[in-house]
Amino acid sequence: MSGADWLSYSLQDFVMFGPQVFLRLFVRINQDLWPWQVLAVVAAIGIPVLLFRQGRNARCFAVGLMVVAWVASGYGFLVGYFGPINWPAAWFGWAFVAQGGLLATAMLFGGVHGGALSSGRFVAPWLIVVCGLPWLAVAESGQWQALALFGIAPGTTAAAGALIVAVITGPWRWLYLPLLVLWSLFSAAMFWVLQTSWLLVTPVATLLLVGAGFWLSPRPARSLD
Amino acid sequence: MAGWFSRRQFLINAGLAGLALKSPSLFANTSGTPSLSPIMRQIPGANESIPAIGMGTWITFNVGGDEQLVAQRTRVLKTFFDLGGTVVDGSPMYGTAADVIGEALDSLDAHDRIFAATKIWTGDESETRQEAARSGRRWGLDQFDLLQVHNLLGWQGHLETLKQMKANGEVRYIGITTSHGRRHREFAQIMEREPLDFVQLTYNVLDREVENRLLPLAQERGIGVIVNRPFQGGSLFRRFQSEPLPGWAGEAGISNWAEFFLKFIISHPAVTCAIPATSKVEHMKENMGALYGALPDADQRQRMADYVRSL
Ligand SMILES: NC(=O)c1ccc[n+]([C@@H]2O[C@H](COP(=O)([O-])OP(=O)(O)OC[C@H]3O[C@@H](n4cnc5c(N)ncnc54)[C@H](OP(=O)(O)O)[C@@H]3O)[C@@H](O)[C@H]2O)c1
Repeated sequence: MSGADWLSYSLQDFVMFGPQVFLRLFVRINQDLWPWQVLAVVAAIGIPVLLFRQGRNARCFAVGLMVVAWVASGYGFLVGYFGPINWPAAWFGWAFVAQGGLLATAMLFGGVHGGALSSGRFVAPWLIVVCGLPWLAVAESGQWQALALFGIAPGTTAAAGALIVAVITGPWRWLYLPLLVLWSLFSAAMFWVLQTSWLLVTPVATLLLVGAGFWLSPRPARSLD
Repeated sequence: MAGWFSRRQFLINAGLAGLALKSPSLFANTSGTPSLSPIMRQIPGANESIPAIGMGTWITFNVGGDEQLVAQRTRVLKTFFDLGGTVVDGSPMYGTAADVIGEALDSLDAHDRIFAATKIWTGDESETRQEAARSGRRWGLDQFDLLQVHNLLGWQGHLETLKQMKANGEVRYIGITTSHGRRHREFAQIMEREPLDFVQLTYNVLDREVENRLLPLAQERGIGVIVNRPFQGGSLFRRFQSEPLPGWAGEAGISNWAEFFLKFIISHPAVTCAIPATSKVEHMKENMGALYGALPDADQRQRMADYVRSL
């Protein structure tokens, strides 16, 4: 294809589904999972509680829950529900699974530090993310069943996952970063084309939270080992 | 599609009668007498006519495994058939649209009411037959009426195979597609050289470049023309729907903007069929209104283009 041909394409040409179909994905996955999303809510609240408990095990458990959230939202929502109507979503789904694997590996090989975090500065944005962002899909669709929960919906999971940068050390962080940025850009472009303006808040928040994660991270970082 | 006409005609008339009761003006031609016959166009070089309004499926039918939306799109397709439509256009590029059409055809038991057109969309030029077969399984059809090379992707290899498939009776018509005004020069060269039954291209009241070369060439070469993006992907409605129709629209057989846009297209003598896409039953009814009544003449077409430009 020539350069002129590529120029004749707009962002619109790459989004092959409508907003109604996209928003129904949240409703459908919630209906199909009911009542198991209670576990996702417990994990969302449990992670900050565990992160601020003393000891390596609690922090590992918290990070382990984040690993599960990456894998579950990637494989469940992106591969299982979104992928069939949008191929790049399935690729992102596998990238979410890999991100979970990366975080697990970091945890096993000293990439998660045990240093103290400022609880207020971490917990406030975390709670805003896991309690606030899920409602954007509700606002957009007008259906409360569209709640985009942490550990199920990829946007909320990625936004919360961005804050986890605060407990990752050294080079592991840089490996963890690309998916957060790529996913945010991809989803922002998609919401722009779909004109679902409420949903645009999530990728913007994710990018800001990456910065927050770096800022919250204690220096010099102390490894868990 | 042999042997289906009487059943189909009965179903069409039943659908039309319902719609005509609701909106009698839709089916009145310029002389005021009700007209229940759809506007049909002969496929050049073939002893067959198809309705001048078909249906596209890009975006609108890609609803995945959402049973609620599949049922709703099935109602859209049913409305299309009931109002006299037959030509449905798809592509393996359109996500789950092919599966949704297949499910809808199954639940409507309508495999014999469709003129099924899909595309070959793969860079592997040896995959033509396999891809057609895969699409056939998804649509629930033994064979397609029309196979088109999507956006000229790998067209040399695919077209050779499609010609053989047509000769073997594996497909009835073959063609190529483009859209958004892309690669028109190469498109024209293929039209000049190859024995095509159909071309598919973008044409609407704002995008009229094809009037200069491709439409006259299609007429000259006896190639049917299927028009995609008749509403410019919906943007014509966003731009003009809040404006009033011109006072003389009724004389040109037009009672709403959908008919304005579609009748402008199908009144071009080179055009065989326009394939608007919609996800809504109400929009389908509006669009199918363009399949009935009077069509604008050449003067009125000019006034339509001028009117839209003036807005
Ligand atoms: N290269 C290719 O081969 C190629 C390229 C482009 C398109 N195509 C084919 O051509 C078909 C048509 O093109 P398209 O789908 O891109 O665009 P289109 O038919 O010009 O426009 C579709 C849009 O118009 C809206 N619409 C339809 N009827 C309406 C009405 N009565 N009132 C208000 N809005 C209405 C639909 O929204 P609602 O759902 O809300 O009604 C939809 O968003 C495609 O579906 C595809 O099959 C082929």
